[in-house]
Amino acid sequence: MAGDLITILFNAMIWAMATFLVASGLTLVFGILHVLNFSHGGFFMIGGYVAYTVLSMFGADIPLWAYLVAAIVASVAMGGTGVAVDTLVFRRLKSVDGVYVLIATYALLLVCDGVVKLIWGLNYLSVSPPRELLDVIFLGGAILPTFSIFVILSGVVVFLVLDYVLNRTSAGRILQVIAIDPWMAGVVGINVSSVYRWTVITGFALAGLAGGLLVANQSLSPDLAGIFILQAFGVVIVGGMGSVRGAFVASIFLGLVEALSATYLPNYPGVLFFATIALVLIVRPEGLLSRQATT
Amino acid sequence: MTGISRRGVIAGLGATSLAAPFINRRAFAQSGDAIKIGVVTALSGPQEFIGNFVLSGCQIAVDQINAAGGVLGRQLALEIRDDRANPAEASAAARELIGLGANLQIGTISSSVALAMGPLMTQEGGVVITCGAGTEKLNHENYNEHVFRPGDGPYMRMRAQARLMAERQPEVTSWTGLVPDHEYGRTTWAVYVDGLLQFYPEIAKADPEILDPIIVPYGAGDYRTFVTQAARSQAQGIYNSTYGGDSVTLFQQAKPFQLFKDRVLMDSANEFIVAGALKGDTPGHWTGIHWYHETNKGNPLSDQLYDDYVKKTGNTQPMGWVSEAHAGIYAYAKAIEKSGKSDTDAVIAGLKGLEWDTATGKRLMRAEDNQAIKDVELIYIEPDASGPLGYKVTDYVKVDGNTVIEPPTPGEPMTLRKPS
Repeated sequence: MAGDLITILFNAMIWAMATFLVASGLTLVFGILHVLNFSHGGFFMIGGYVAYTVLSMFGADIPLWAYLVAAIVASVAMGGTGVAVDTLVFRRLKSVDGVYVLIATYALLLVCDGVVKLIWGLNYLSVSPPRELLDVIFLGGAILPTFSIFVILSGVVVFLVLDYVLNRTSAGRILQVIAIDPWMAGVVGINVSSVYRWTVITGFALAGLAGGLLVANQSLSPDLAGIFILQAFGVVIVGGMGSVRGAFVASIFLGLVEALSATYLPNYPGVLFFATIALVLIVRPEGLLSRQATT
Repeated sequence: MTGISRRGVIAGLGATSLAAPFINRRAFAQSGDAIKIGVVTALSGPQEFIGNFVLSGCQIAVDQINAAGGVLGRQLALEIRDDRANPAEASAAARELIGLGANLQIGTISSSVALAMGPLMTQEGGVVITCGAGTEKLNHENYNEHVFRPGDGPYMRMRAQARLMAERQPEVTSWTGLVPDHEYGRTTWAVYVDGLLQFYPEIAKADPEILDPIIVPYGAGDYRTFVTQAARSQAQGIYNSTYGGDSVTLFQQAKPFQLFKDRVLMDSANEFIVAGALKGDTPGHWTGIHWYHETNKGNPLSDQLYDDYVKKTGNTQPMGWVSEAHAGIYAYAKAIEKSGKSDTDAVIAGLKGLEWDTATGKRLMRAEDNQAIKDVELIYIEPDASGPLGYKVTDYVKVDGNTVIEPPTPGEPMTLRKPS
């Protein structure tokens, strides 16, 4: 019984933190720029492929330091891509209707798909977890793989860093000011355009980081962009559009829903997840935590 | 002063477009020198990976047949369209190709596309050969005489897998499944169970214990909850019918739980997909395959297909869909030769009851339900960390298709044994 409970909680946390890693950049960009970046999953996917390319130099025996370096390389690569995307796409979308933003970012997703097929091909690929994270821990009858613990810790660390920067630094406070009233922020001398750019770079870097950290978590294929993005949109919506804390809380909440659903309603996978999202939208359409209060 | 008014042109165009659906498309079919064969397959979208193998198989078969003088002195020519595994796009492409004279079509991978093709081909006067579409409805509830399956259907494949287990693993009598949450996934499990319930008592002299399958979502990023459920199960054998990237992710996440360490793993249809991705992390497993060149070594068609494929692509590990398309084109060639004509009715008549040579040996296209009888091929894959691929095939078998195929019951659903 204790083992079952630990397993459910553990599985919920893996799901939650893997999803939060993907959702963090998405919610940051939406919170500041109010751009719902449909292509975020595409850059997460490319981040995974970049990490795969770096790690393929090590064969099957990958040291932890190399794994982390690969994730950082993926993050930097996607951050750099963010500069190009901001210049070529996002800046041109500032004054247009949200529908056009969705179309443009969906087109970007298709570009990501094409890039992956062009460079890495159609074959399914995978990466082994680092050699230091191949063990398991037995706790009260539950099996806890160390790589899964690493994923959970990665999600928590990313959240703590983001939360600290957004709420405890002057840069974070400037971001919150711009998110609420960019015009007034400009009037008082803040370089809004520059802040926008750095927000996009950070959002894309987070997508790349998620791709790199999760590269050994699942298969790599051109379908990867769509696999996590649906979950990520779920936690962004439930958490409160643009709220990093909300996304973190929502990812744990929905992770629990998913784990309980899989355990107690095994014949209806996913049903409870979507029912919960629908229920939250009906009861609390602004999400669990609203952005204005919690960014 | 041409005498052509704008109003007249508009009226003419309108009348033409209104009349177009009623023009008999058969009138346009196959009037040129080359016999056109339409390839409508997934060249983008979720099944692009498979579609490329299908296209290669078609191209190699056409090149081989043309190099040998063609069919009835005429060359074969392919007209290629992308269906994105989408029934609507496939229907549009198929209609267009029939209009261009390609009444003979091939390449359907997706079950939903295959089911859409029957009524369309009846209406438009074409015929289609599928290349891996798995739905059992094709030769049962949705049987249509314009649709042919030259490969093994799910009934044959899954029952052959159950038969092999009864022969090779008679001591493994308790089974569960990792079953994707869609109709086809549940069907594969149901047929596998039917096979277990027949062959274990017959061959292993033991009654199998069928445990509840674990239903897993399609296209998820995390399967650990389902893996832990399976790990807690008392089953000695696991049947996997998840597919592609889902299987790779599931097997990858199952490794720390040692899910497959002391259990027999029978995989429905991943061929080399999982092994190619996981390499040295691949768990030892049986998998169904449409064609494995080593199994068929010595068969001139197989050896030639393998050589031509490697020469064409540089890939030394082709997947079996190459052979399905190759066999389909050869079926058309033989059917045209048999009937002496390439129009739809003649080709349908030629295909029914056709016996022809393929890369996997002789196949018979059963006349009653357009389902081929062929041997079912299975391979056992193990990790091989020091090898060039990271995995290797250590065993392969053919199960006689006649021993596992159902009797023809076109128009009626399959009847399956169920655990008591």
